[in-house]
Amino acid sequence: MSVKQKIDARGAFCPGPLMELIAMLKLVEIGDEIEVWSSDKGSVSDIPQWVSKVRHEMVGVTQHDGYWSIVVRKAK
Amino acid sequence: MASNPLYIMLCSGEHEKLQMAAMMASVGAVSERPVEVFISMNAILAFAKGAPADTRYQGGAFSKLLKENHAPDAMTLFRQGKELGDLKLWACSMALDVKGWELNALTDGLFDGAMGLTKFLSDAENGQFVTL
Repeated sequence: MSVKQKIDARGAFCPGPLMELIAMLKLVEIGDEIEVWSSDKGSVSDIPQWVSKVRHEMVGVTQHDGYWSIVVRKAK
Repeated sequence: MASNPLYIMLCSGEHEKLQMAAMMASVGAVSERPVEVFISMNAILAFAKGAPADTRYQGGAFSKLLKENHAPDAMTLFRQGKELGDLKLWACSMALDVKGWELNALTDGLFDGAMGLTKFLSDAENGQFVTL
């Protein structure tokens, strides 16, 4: 069964949220999902771009009040 | 599949340029792109082992903002790039000689060794080259 981990990177500046995501991806199992909370606007484009480049999977991006929720699934 | 390697020649000791070099190097390395950074001139001074942040990072108006807003520390970004990707840092052998330093004068855990300019330029012929 897949697990969802959460990273609260609100307040961190580029490339902090991406780096936190990558560090967490090293620790979880294939199929697990990671939800990143980021207030860095660049994360909304940077994280999906990175996920596509290194061949993981985007689950979704949701805008909240002052931050975004970006969910990624580990694919390899 | 690995991307075209990125070679960064970092000569400036300005905080803003150190920060951008660290961002480029770390993000490039974690994006499955081999990255090598050659550090010389004033930039090598910022890598002195044990230097406090207020003397390590000197710059202009944006440096002040980076500090006030607690932007990621450049040394931490370089370290993350090495831990999570294919990132190598080389100390310019000339800069070390002029300063009278050995590699152990530099921040631990960042450098892969000393290198001459000729070797770095030769290696960089195979990738994208950026100077800061």
